[in-house]
This record gives sequence, structure tokens and C-alpha cells, in this order.
Amino acid sequence: MTIENVLLVSAALFAIGVYGVVSRRSLITVIMSLELMFNGVVIAAVAFSRFTPAAALLGDDPLTAEAIRSALTGHAFAIFVTAVAAGEAALAFALVFAMYRGTESVEITDAAEMKN
Amino acid sequence: MMEVSTLTTVAFYLASAMTLGFAAIVVTQRDVFRAAIALAGSFLGVGILYFVLSAEFVGVVQILVYVGAISVLMAFAVMFIQDIASGSRPAQGRLIGAAVAVLIFAALAFTVYNTTWSSMDEITDPVAVAALTEGFVEVGTGDDLTIAPLGFADPDELVVENGGVLVDSTPAVGVLLIREYMLAFEIIGLLLVAALIGGLLMMRDPSNKDEIETGGASV
Repeated sequence: MTIENVLLVSAALFAIGVYGVVSRRSLITVIMSLELMFNGVVIAAVAFSRFTPAAALLGDDPLTAEAIRSALTGHAFAIFVTAVAAGEAALAFALVFAMYRGTESVEITDAAEMKN
Repeated sequence: MMEVSTLTTVAFYLASAMTLGFAAIVVTQRDVFRAAIALAGSFLGVGILYFVLSAEFVGVVQILVYVGAISVLMAFAVMFIQDIASGSRPAQGRLIGAAVAVLIFAALAFTVYNTTWSSMDEITDPVAVAALTEGFVEVGTGDDLTIAPLGFADPDELVVENGGVLVDSTPAVGVLLIREYMLAFEIIGLLLVAALIGGLLMMRDPSNKDEIETGGASV
């Protein structure tokens, strides 16, 4: 397990998500693929936190608790992205339901009617 | 030298296979309900991956939020929308989608392998290494505040292997969130309330005038 392996998994998950977003017609599967892309990005953030040293730990400055904690910035980033993704999923499904009530369809090709 | 045990490596490959396998089912399965179940499996694999990367708190959050909440939301959405039985048909852009995905993956893989990543071994301070891998306590007061690694009374006796970030990272992540990232933490709370209210507003039936006038308290 090296940083290259973990980043490859992250890139593969992101690419699978991109394929799903472009190739699926149902809005629900598109949202599922979006969540996969979110997960791919967060894996990369955690991998950087795990395998690369924080800048504050490489200099000659005296060691502080802040410097040690800055090695975990990737974890904080992951938690913030997860919170935003949860809010996004809730709003996205509200939009899908609003569209379904108006057009009786959840297909992306029918979503153009939302313009009117 | 930074060593990773064989067990960790096996767990990493299993979790990766689980994540990517279920993700492939999500984007190819026509039955949307099965895709939702596969999505939960993929999220669980990512959660295991976080544990393998010694990010325990992120792993627990992943399982609580994604496997526990978002997957259930997806399942409810599939059940609410009745004509989903027709399945999720692929759009015309299937080949283009595959080409774009392969291109993105190739570009990312090329970058990953052509970058010289800095290594945890570059941290030379033994106290820093011990504090990172074993945990640490703060000693002293005011301006004399310094840190000492857990379990090592005398810094000269330190013999530690650099295994990466904290073995027990959860307390440090908690402190990080409410000190360095306090403002972002508060704004996330505001964002979630806004998303909640926005979702409720959009879900409301606009033809139901009675509900709007009485604020939802229909008689």
C-alpha cells in the first residue's frame, strides 16, 4: 500500500462516477454517480494526509501541538466534504421530486422542460 | 523506514476491490433499486478504506452519513417514484461517457506516477515522529507550551518507526475541528440548515394553497 495505489483507487472511483453521470438517463442514477465522484475526491484527501508530511513538521521551528495536528488537515477536509455532500444529496432529491410532480418523469431528457 | 504490514495491505486491496466492484455495478445496473444497494456496498468499502488509512473518525462518519443516511435516502427516492420499474436506460452518450472517463483516469494515473511524492520519512525530529505515530500530550503553560509524546518520559530513549499519521487520530481531529477550523465548522451547520429548509420548500405541493396560508397546519 503506497500513496500511488491509494490515489489510483481514488482516480478509478472518480472516473467510474464520471461515466455514470454522462451515460445514465435516470436522474437518480446520475445523483448516485455524483456521490461516487465525491467519495473518490475524499479518498485522495485522506491519502495525502496519511502519506505526505505536513509542511509545519519539516522546518526547524519548535514543535507545537498545532504543527502535529496540521498533519490531520486532510481528515478535517474529508468531514467538511461529507457534510456538504449530505446537504447536496437532500437538495438534489427535493429537485427530483419537484420535477417528477410536474412531468411524471425522472429522465434527464425530460428535464429540459424545467426551463419553461 | 515506513513499513506497512501485510495484513493492512491485504485489507487495502480487499476494500479497494469492494469499492470499485460495487461502483461498477452502480453505473451499469439497469434496476435502480439494485444500483442503490450496490451504492451502499461501495460506500461501505470506502469506509473500510479510511480505517486502513488510519483515519478512524472519517471512517465512522462515512459509515454513519453515507451508508446510514444517504443510502436510505436513495432507497426512499426509488420507492417513491413508481415508474422507476422501467429501469435506468443508458443515454446516447454512452461511448462518449466511457471515453471521457478513460481519459480522466489516464490523466490522473499519469500525474500520480510522474510526481515525486514527499514521504513521511522526511520528518527527522524524533519527538515529532513519536508524537505523530503514538499520540502526544501538551506540557507547560502559556509561552512555554511544548509537547511530549505519549509513553516516552525521556526524549533521549525514543526509538520509533515512522508509520504515518496518528494511531489514535480521533481526539486530534476533534480539537482541529473546533480550533483551527471553527469558522468553517459553524458555516457547515448553517449550510445544513439552509439545505434542510430549501429541501422542505421545494418538496411542498404548490397547488395546496391551504398549506401555504396556514403554515402547514391543515385543518
